[in-house]
Amino acid sequence: MSFLALAPILAVVAGALISLLLEAFLGRKGHELSATAAVVSLLAAGYFIVRSWNLELGYFAARLSLDPLALLLMAVFVVLGAFVILMSLAYASRRDIALGQLCGLLLIALAGLMIMVSSTDWLVVFLGLEVLSVASYALTGLRRSDPASSEAAAKYFLMGSFAGAFFVFGLAILFGTSGSMSLASGLSGGGVPSALPAGPAVGLGLIVAALFFKIAVAPFHMWAPDVYEGAPTPVAAFLTIAPKAAGLVVLLRVLAPVLGRGGTAAAVFGPVVSAAAVLTMFAGNLAALRQSSVKRLLAYSAIAHSGYLLVAVAAGDGPGLVFYLIAYLFMNAGAFAVLTALEGDDGGTATLDGLAGLGRRHPALAACLAVFLLSLAGFPPTAGFLAKFYVFSGAVAKGHVVLVVAAVLASLVSVAYYLKVIMVMYMKDAAADLTIGRDEPALWLVVFLCVFGVVQLGLWPGNLLTLIRQGSSGLF
Amino acid sequence: MIPPLAFFVLAAVLFVLGVVAFFVKKDLLTQFMAVEVMLNAGNLAFLALTAGPGRANAQAIVLFVIAVAAAEAVVGLSVIVLVFRRRKSIRTDELRDLKG
Repeated sequence: MSFLALAPILAVVAGALISLLLEAFLGRKGHELSATAAVVSLLAAGYFIVRSWNLELGYFAARLSLDPLALLLMAVFVVLGAFVILMSLAYASRRDIALGQLCGLLLIALAGLMIMVSSTDWLVVFLGLEVLSVASYALTGLRRSDPASSEAAAKYFLMGSFAGAFFVFGLAILFGTSGSMSLASGLSGGGVPSALPAGPAVGLGLIVAALFFKIAVAPFHMWAPDVYEGAPTPVAAFLTIAPKAAGLVVLLRVLAPVLGRGGTAAAVFGPVVSAAAVLTMFAGNLAALRQSSVKRLLAYSAIAHSGYLLVAVAAGDGPGLVFYLIAYLFMNAGAFAVLTALEGDDGGTATLDGLAGLGRRHPALAACLAVFLLSLAGFPPTAGFLAKFYVFSGAVAKGHVVLVVAAVLASLVSVAYYLKVIMVMYMKDAAADLTIGRDEPALWLVVFLCVFGVVQLGLWPGNLLTLIRQGSSGLF
Repeated sequence: MIPPLAFFVLAAVLFVLGVVAFFVKKDLLTQFMAVEVMLNAGNLAFLALTAGPGRANAQAIVLFVIAVAAAEAVVGLSVIVLVFRRRKSIRTDELRDLKG
């Protein structure tokens, strides 16, 4: 019980309020200032996260508890938030987006994510999820002059609130029949005689379906490609990584004990999660094969990665999941950062043909994109290879052999479209002239940091692995 | 006295009606209203399943859900207004710039 447990969330919320107020009172002049305020608040949150390591802080009778899993994920969110703000600095003014609004909404979404990963109570998870969702709808629609952006926001809002209603109804059944809002004791009976047979299981099923919606797991992924494509590119980088990470951690916290205990509950939920994982991998990868827009291709690849990550959830493999999420943060944020740089001034996103000859005209940028794509495909010696290796070998150790065979097959399919992009960049002659002469140091910094992360985690993952294992002993 | 279970059945029926309306209607506002029906069915289910002494938490939870629904409505309605300004229509079958 310590007030310090709230410090990271308070820092982020304070930053959000300050950047929104600066935007409101200074208008365009306040843009740089509000971005600075946002980054400073992220640094403060980072400081409190590092400070809380191994302290096991908790608040609200431990309904909000900063265990190592929550702290690692919070660190991921803070780094991602900083990346997105740096990517937006020049992009926002080019695309007529109010930077202060973007920073404020982004920080509010980050607060929701932090609440989600650190809570042990369903109501708090729901509130965090909704804080995240409401901020994300607004973030998606920020390019007000662009019809695609508002269309994406409308679709995201409709599907998101639809999923939210399922969450509420599931919660009602779960609470009504088990009498407990705790994540851990959902299916263990709770001591109250149940009004409905198998009531908690039905409630939990509805909640898991709602979370699948938010993570973009097939068959609930239909909204995702449209939303990721229509959203402003830095926001798309955020949406493909953050809600997925938080949702998967909640799923891990709920399902790992259920699946680990065995019995009927495991016999029901285990196959469901495995089937969803396989379906997601193939739905994402097969649809990505026939895309001509690079942004949409990456959107489908993000869906496929939800499937790989679900393998870790199905195996109850917490350390594997966290390592995969950290590797995924660097490779996906990097790919979207390069995409931000490639976007033309007219607002169109890069098509596959538009990338032709990029290897000759902008060798550094092309090389970085190639590294990110190879990592997403899972080639050694990048972080993506090790992440897949740990998750898949962890799942085999738990006996999920069929699931892993399907996952390996799906990643083989994915190699086809990742390599297609690389081939177009290096082996086709330029058809149109793609000029990237802009001076955007912040964006290059993000690209550099992501390359560094991908290569460093691929070659020397030791430090991070030690940290994850140290945190995970006795936890998951 | 009406048994609490009857209210739960009513809530379940309302929820299913909301789901059906969400898929049948092709209009952003009507679909949003369907979602609101589903959310309030959830609230009713909370109260119906937790009727009885010593279960007052549920009523506090319902207040939270109402607050969340209000926040969602604010953002959602502004998004719908934004779509209408761009296209002069809020029919979902005309929202198909993004596909592939």
